[in-house]
Amino acid sequence: MQKRHDLTAFFSPSSIALVGASPSAGKISGIILENLRNSFKGAIYPVNPHYNEVMGLRCHPSIEAIGSPVDLAVYALGAESVPEAILNTGGNAAGAVVVSGGFAEAGPKGVLLEKALKDAARSTGIRVIGPNCLGIYDAVTGLDTFFVPRDRVRRPGRGTLSIISQSGSFAATAIDELATDGIGVARVVSYGNKSDVDEADCLDFLAEDPETKAVAIYVESIEDGRRFVESAARCSAIKPVMAVKVGKSASGISAARSHTGAIAGSYEIYRAAFRKAGIIELNGYEDFLVACKAFGLTSGAAGKRVMIITDGGGMGVNVADECIAAGLTVPPLPEELIEELSAAFPPYFTTGNPLDLTGSATDESFAFALSKTMSGDYYDMVIVAALWGPPALTDNLPGMLAQKPGFNEKPIIACTPGGAYSRERIRLFHEAGLPAFLTPEAAVTAACVLSKRQGRR
Amino acid sequence: MDLRGIERIVKEALSVSRKVLVEPDAKEVLKLASFQVPASRVVKDVSGAIEAAREIGFPVALKLISPDIIHKSDAGGVFLNVMDEKEIEEKWSGMILGMADDYPTAIIEGFLVEEMVGSGAEVIVGCLRDPQFGPVVMFGIGGVTVELMKDVSFRLAPITREEAFEMMAEVKGFPILTGFRGKTIKDLDAIADALIKLGEIMARVDGIKELEINPLIVHERGAVVADARAILE
Repeated sequence: MQKRHDLTAFFSPSSIALVGASPSAGKISGIILENLRNSFKGAIYPVNPHYNEVMGLRCHPSIEAIGSPVDLAVYALGAESVPEAILNTGGNAAGAVVVSGGFAEAGPKGVLLEKALKDAARSTGIRVIGPNCLGIYDAVTGLDTFFVPRDRVRRPGRGTLSIISQSGSFAATAIDELATDGIGVARVVSYGNKSDVDEADCLDFLAEDPETKAVAIYVESIEDGRRFVESAARCSAIKPVMAVKVGKSASGISAARSHTGAIAGSYEIYRAAFRKAGIIELNGYEDFLVACKAFGLTSGAAGKRVMIITDGGGMGVNVADECIAAGLTVPPLPEELIEELSAAFPPYFTTGNPLDLTGSATDESFAFALSKTMSGDYYDMVIVAALWGPPALTDNLPGMLAQKPGFNEKPIIACTPGGAYSRERIRLFHEAGLPAFLTPEAAVTAACVLSKRQGRR
Repeated sequence: MDLRGIERIVKEALSVSRKVLVEPDAKEVLKLASFQVPASRVVKDVSGAIEAAREIGFPVALKLISPDIIHKSDAGGVFLNVMDEKEIEEKWSGMILGMADDYPTAIIEGFLVEEMVGSGAEVIVGCLRDPQFGPVVMFGIGGVTVELMKDVSFRLAPITREEAFEMMAEVKGFPILTGFRGKTIKDLDAIADALIKLGEIMARVDGIKELEINPLIVHERGAVVADARAILE
């Protein structure tokens, strides 16, 4: 028996068999094969007794016929054929990804099939991700079993954020957005029905995965709650772990007879579990993306003190309001900084917090203000609300800010509200390695999420 | 904490297919976990009630004991500050008649005559066993409106003292315990003890599904269990 959390086969395979390979490009197996050929560096073995060749690759009648064991087998077959196919694989694969649907999610017949799948996995010792999932998109190894075409759902480049998701469509949509925004990922796992590998297994792996610097989770339900909490707590002690839980309105203890039981909806219990595990709680899809961008590009803040630098006074105040409503603080500039900045800046700049550089702002004035306010121990992070109207601002601004003159660890969050011109600038910030958002609300959500690591980076 | 004593009470109740622990039994459990519980006696009839009240000393609380009535005060099964023998007779017959009208099938096991608890801040501390996550403790500013206001916080049990204080500080009504509008500062340590101990009981004793103190009356020094119930599984 392997170590319970040994998922190495899934994340560093050197060979993959695609069981159910088909030459038709529109089929699930066709999409997977094309994606693998696009990005996977190792050996790819199509398996299907009906073909000799698929997409120019030699096709094998069975995994056994390949001649040597593979690290990973991907099954794109009708549900009813999967348990037998896994039994036939025997000891010839270490891990299996079953993307097929039609199992426990599909009614009583599917429940039986899933049980047969579990039994087959147990008797052969193969670890299984799925069924009813998209499997793995891994920007580190190039492994991609997501059967959604790349022209419709883009794949992010290599980054340090890993995502584990019960829902395949949620994972696919999120990575498409991250790719479009220029945010990279490390490992993305859609684990579906979790007949074997579940969120706790993934967390155990990601905790020790050097490629992963932060973990984002999407869950609908957790069965072994205590084990999840233990694994998540271990992981969050090392790196940030954040989670969104959907299905919040589901009532808690049915037929509860005490006040406690009547009030405790299932979501309250999930929140308590997240808290115990050191997981940062996220509220829905938007928060999830914001948090992915924030922790995908920067690390946590040591506290809650936010400095706001802007070239639009109104937007600065808006950001400040949002910060305070979210439980962050916006401490005033200390006297010595006011003196220093007032001496350097024209009198019509507002030297406070928010610090307003007005329409006369330049790249240099932003960088100067940033360096002065963030180098001492006055603030834990900064929100730069850059409006692009002032003509002196150039596309060099994100790069200049990203140099973090005079400080290292403190996160910089950019906020660039506006239309087409401003929206295009978001990408520049991301390329410079700074998370950037269109609205003050999103920027403050990011600040809030980053502040929840409080000293643990 | 006398865990074996607590287990015995739960096992005995389960062995006769009980689904709940009625107030005196739930309080006995809490007493074994060294909670402060008011002096009380279980009686069968009005003359027993009068005798018990004389012994305990007026004023007393007179409460119905029924496994079928979970929220006693809503059902007219609680009278507080009963001042003398005459009032006991009045309240007792009122209670019996009300039950006969509104809950004709409810089993009445007896009555609890109890020492009155001095006034203080009323909080609810509860614990339930979640099928996925195990024991969860709840804290809230108490009273009968707790289900309406939902000003409560939760933690997975067992909890640390630090977590217990976090739970208190999280509810909006927290200032009620810390001197809001000239009130005295209440014994937060006693609340923390209660939360920690409830979590511990749930974590270490099988068979309890929900265990709740509502209200726990918190004074400047100490906290007293004014009412409690347990649901068994």
